[in-house]
Amino acid sequence: MTLAERVSRFRDAAAKFMYGLTGYEFVRHALEMRHEMETVFMVVTLGDLIGVPVLPPIYSLRLLPHVVPEIATWKRNMARRKEFWEKEEYDLHGL
Amino acid sequence: MNTLLAVIIGVLTVYLAYTLYARRIDRHVIQSDPKRATPATLYMDGVDFMPTNKNILFGYHFKSIAAAGPIVGAIVAATLWGWLPALIWLVLGVTFIGWASDYSGIVISVRNDGNSLSATAHRLVSPRSRTVLLMFIVIYLLIGASGFLSIMSNTIEGQPRTVLGIVVLTAMGLLLGQMLYRWRSGLVGATVLTVGVTLLAILAGPWSEPVFKGLNEAMNSLSGGHPLVTYFDPTAAEFKGGEAAMMPSLLLWALAICAFCYAGSVLPIWRMAQPVIYVAFWISATAIVLGLGGAALATFVKPEVAQFVIPAFKGFNPQVGPSGMMPLWPMLFVTIACGAISGWHALFGSVGTARQIENEADMLPVGGGSMLCEFLLGLLALLSVSVGAKGAPVAAFATGLGGFISVFGIPLGFAVSLAYAAFIVIVLVVMQLLFRVMRVTLSEWLGEAIPIVRNQHVSSLVCIALAIVVVLTGTWIYLWQLLGGANQLMAALALLLVTVWLASVGKNWLYAGLPAAFMYVTTIASLLVSAYNIYANVYKVNAVAGRIVPIVGSGILIFLALLLVAAAIVIGIDGARAFQRYRRQPIAAPKPVGARA
Repeated sequence: MTLAERVSRFRDAAAKFMYGLTGYEFVRHALEMRHEMETVFMVVTLGDLIGVPVLPPIYSLRLLPHVVPEIATWKRNMARRKEFWEKEEYDLHGL
Repeated sequence: MNTLLAVIIGVLTVYLAYTLYARRIDRHVIQSDPKRATPATLYMDGVDFMPTNKNILFGYHFKSIAAAGPIVGAIVAATLWGWLPALIWLVLGVTFIGWASDYSGIVISVRNDGNSLSATAHRLVSPRSRTVLLMFIVIYLLIGASGFLSIMSNTIEGQPRTVLGIVVLTAMGLLLGQMLYRWRSGLVGATVLTVGVTLLAILAGPWSEPVFKGLNEAMNSLSGGHPLVTYFDPTAAEFKGGEAAMMPSLLLWALAICAFCYAGSVLPIWRMAQPVIYVAFWISATAIVLGLGGAALATFVKPEVAQFVIPAFKGFNPQVGPSGMMPLWPMLFVTIACGAISGWHALFGSVGTARQIENEADMLPVGGGSMLCEFLLGLLALLSVSVGAKGAPVAAFATGLGGFISVFGIPLGFAVSLAYAAFIVIVLVVMQLLFRVMRVTLSEWLGEAIPIVRNQHVSSLVCIALAIVVVLTGTWIYLWQLLGGANQLMAALALLLVTVWLASVGKNWLYAGLPAAFMYVTTIASLLVSAYNIYANVYKVNAVAGRIVPIVGSGILIFLALLLVAAAIVIGIDGARAFQRYRRQPIAAPKPVGARA
């Protein structure tokens, strides 16, 4: 590895470290907020899967293409919750 | 001794501990395998489980564990026993125990599906251990919050110039949250604005001093200049003990801090707690980076601030109060917690960081590396107090750190103001977080039995009320040592759990087992010594004088200390039984989960 590559690698690592130290927490929280909204959307459209029918199935069917990409993460997330309405504080829970 | 030599010792410690010991454990005992899938990759949900680059995670983990602990602990230890025992414990503690605890907290979670320590204890040790652990954590947080509340109210009352900075910090934190999450402003611009204004307010602190001094005097005039509570304080008069008084102004600041913590606890985390911590981080990071650089350069540039002025060793059992005892063992080992070893790190690592580990090879640089960096923070605090003037520990720290910062040409007065501010903001934001975590844990622990506790306002107010009652003992040093005891015991229990897990999978458990045994015995002994000290130096003396409030406060503290000991014994017995069980018959190792393509 040349000196220039080493320097570039170090700069990259330092920049990522600074990001972890500063902005990463905001990004994580923004993701959590989006995730909560997505969960509400999923419950509205696919609620009958978990025993909470919210929308008539015809509308669920029409929204299905928008929902499909999220199903895998939603499934994992719902499976970990004690109750479906539970809102977890991701930065603190599990203590 | 001078600062340069101490910095060299610190850097060598980090290098040798990492390369000669930590790496060896990682390769030969844990056998971290970059090809094994981690929970972050297996259960990725884009939020909680999220594979993250190791350098980002290093920064994130370091920021999450580095707070007031390494600073306050080193200051108190150097004041009580001298700088040499403190330095030796920092070096040996982090080398043989500290990094192992942080690293193992992450390892045990990564190898157990990202489960928290309490969930793993429930599975490996016994079901009741989870409940005991939750109770343990609530008490630990209560003692921590009370200790910090006591230190902070006294510091703010005695240093009115710091108030303006705190008020502006809170306002800027609220503004930052609004800018980032509602107005969608860029992070860099928002940071420059909010941190810049806060720094200006901190530097303008000395000019605002008369206003807040006047406020203190006005408050005190309400009671005609008479104290609200008088009590015997064993730490008064340079630890000889003496009468102390709690004036209305102290209560005012204690209540103001409680209001701040209440808001931080119940408001959405993005609204207050997170942005305030972020602004505070920049203030303290500025002071710490300047201080570290100054400590290294001071020998050449400004030798008069680089020489240690406090004694190297003050004795094995310094006198604190009329009849208490402060033996070097076990008390030094709990007084300095975070810079050497901390239970909080293992707790956080197991739930926060472990679920984001992308690759098992990242566990050591992230967990072990962060702890070794935090050791440097503890070392800086030790240096600051060692070169600082004699007097109250916080003042000595601020003077010392201010001296280091002044190496860069910043006038000493401003540098000391910045050092004070760095200390105060670190402690303040940690308090806010402590109350928040305590509220959540209290709800989890008692929520099912007492449903009203699940209400966040009720649980927050309960936590704050308990903290105020405990603060009324007036003896911050015992609160701090109880917190250290609880924190170190938490670390010992985390290491005990790691030992049980290592035995359960048939690995060599010595690297975690020996530190666990040492910390377990040491911290239980320290809790008993603390309980005795509170009884002999606070409860008994105030009981003779018939002062109800300190009697109640110290009685609660003694009860909490004994409760912690009982909880630790229960978990210890269960852990030892589980350890013996697994040693006889380890669990068959599961087949490795396939690596990512």
